[in-house]
Amino acid sequence: MKNKKFFIKLLILLIISIFSILFVYNDYFLYKRPILKIDRIKEELENNESSDEKNITQYIYGTIMNTKDKGRKIKVINHTTTSGVYDEQVHKNSELFVELKKGDTAIGISEIKRDKYIVILLVIFVDAIVLAAGNKGVKTLVSLLVNILISGLAIFLFQQHAKTWNMLFLYFGVAIFFITLSLFITNGRKKKTLAAILSSTASLFISFLLAFLIIKLYKKPIPYWTLDYIEAVHDYENFFYVTILLSGLGAIMDISITISSSLNELIEKNPKIKLKTLINSGKEISKDVIGTMTNVMLFTCFTSIIPMTFLMMKNNIVLGEALQRYGQVELIVVLTSCIAIVLAIPISLFISTLVLKPSNKRRGIK
Amino acid sequence: MIFILSLILFALLVILGVKTFFIFYLSLFLIMIYLFMISIGFSAITHAVIICILVTAITLFGLNGVNVKTKSSFKAIMIILVIIFLLTFFIGKNANIQGFSAESLESIGGYSFDLNYNLTNVFIGMYLLTVIGTIIDTSISISSALNEVHLNNKHLDKHELYKSGMNVGKDIMATTINTLYFAVVAEFIGFFMWHYGASFSFLLNYKAFAQEIIKLLLCFIASILVIPITSYITSRALLKDDTKE
Repeated sequence: MKNKKFFIKLLILLIISIFSILFVYNDYFLYKRPILKIDRIKEELENNESSDEKNITQYIYGTIMNTKDKGRKIKVINHTTTSGVYDEQVHKNSELFVELKKGDTAIGISEIKRDKYIVILLVIFVDAIVLAAGNKGVKTLVSLLVNILISGLAIFLFQQHAKTWNMLFLYFGVAIFFITLSLFITNGRKKKTLAAILSSTASLFISFLLAFLIIKLYKKPIPYWTLDYIEAVHDYENFFYVTILLSGLGAIMDISITISSSLNELIEKNPKIKLKTLINSGKEISKDVIGTMTNVMLFTCFTSIIPMTFLMMKNNIVLGEALQRYGQVELIVVLTSCIAIVLAIPISLFISTLVLKPSNKRRGIK
Repeated sequence: MIFILSLILFALLVILGVKTFFIFYLSLFLIMIYLFMISIGFSAITHAVIICILVTAITLFGLNGVNVKTKSSFKAIMIILVIIFLLTFFIGKNANIQGFSAESLESIGGYSFDLNYNLTNVFIGMYLLTVIGTIIDTSISISSALNEVHLNNKHLDKHELYKSGMNVGKDIMATTINTLYFAVVAEFIGFFMWHYGASFSFLLNYKAFAQEIIKLLLCFIASILVIPITSYITSRALLKDDTKE
């Protein structure tokens, strides 16, 4: 009976997965921009005079798949290089967004259609998490969705009020709201949730103080402009704070809830447990997650400088100089948020014992 | 300044345990080596794979000794590396994830684009390195926990062992996914403010967005796959090891 239910669920998952992949392979009607499906490509190679780089001219012939021009045969010319730093080499099975004009030649390519690859990965992700982790997986997905929604809201608020309000204060408001809602939804209304909320908020403030000190003690001006997309805001310094604080937020929340729920467990099992044993076991538990977290922070943030540094080094800038110019800010962000994450352990231990222990005392008196 | 910061982190991590500290700085060092090697013309993909294997081997065997749990962790990570490599290769070659978008034009404008080096490979290498960093610690946590369970409960068979490995892993998975999400969103908040009001269909096909989303999803997938694969291999290896003795 249980097996049967499982198979039905599996079947539903499989059907949904296949359907969504098929859908995204044929979703031309969703787009207002004309999409070109390629029939054949003719390539012309041309040697560059000044370097070994090869310039390629691609003559692309294809059919428009949507809009009122559906079925039109179009030719488009694409100039590209072997490196592809700022151009696209079109493959036979790619699909292109093109800008049309009258006649049989398009003005040019505006973008490659990438949605299908993202959806394929998304389907693999959802299938894997549901199959591997079952209910817990679904719960993780829901909390991820909640996080996405709240960060969407935060971006909306930033965009609307960034000019009139201080971005940092706005961030703190959003972050505290974020912490409260996210922890409540995933853990329910319990005492340990309260402890986790309090300790994440405290850790957040401490990490802000840390970032503040670091920026004030930094002798040279920080090259903020090397942060990607920083031109989107006018308040560079506060944007820098927000980046540092936000990148550690998830990890801080996780450490707080891990510590508070395990301490809660210990206290419930043995109300007379000594403070020292409590702190020691809290430390042991956090050791397990902290390695993963610092590594995740390092690798996600720091690998993202690889392309830019690579471009610099290929332009005859030595590694040290390139990192000085570009990697500096990323490194400050990573190190600061890692310190904040590590500091979150003692803070959560302290606050969790403070919040969870008194009830135990009262119980003892009764 | 960076020196002082790393000193603080060093001190903190030493309090927590030398292992964590060591992995952190080893990875930093190896990423530098990677950058240096590819800039003098080594193949980006082959070299990334070598660095991945090196990081895994040093972290597992160098820090935790050669034993059943590290061996099975190593096997599990290699299997995931192969899976993620195939996925990344397929996506990287087809989705044109290489290169820079219009936002970075200002910062890349001063440099020559004639690198004579296929940037797609650099991006594939970058994805592989990111993925390996997120799974090593999870894998070793699971196999150590399983080892503990096995030592304390000798009567458990391979299915029960596998189950307890999954239980340990699920908790770590949830936290890893959360941490990953925030790390990427922090990097990306400026992007969304830049493109505020852009339609969803625009973003979904936009290069800079696709690059980040693909990275995030690959890390997610790897951090999930590592749980069943490590649990499966470790639970079998532990029992097999017992029968040998």
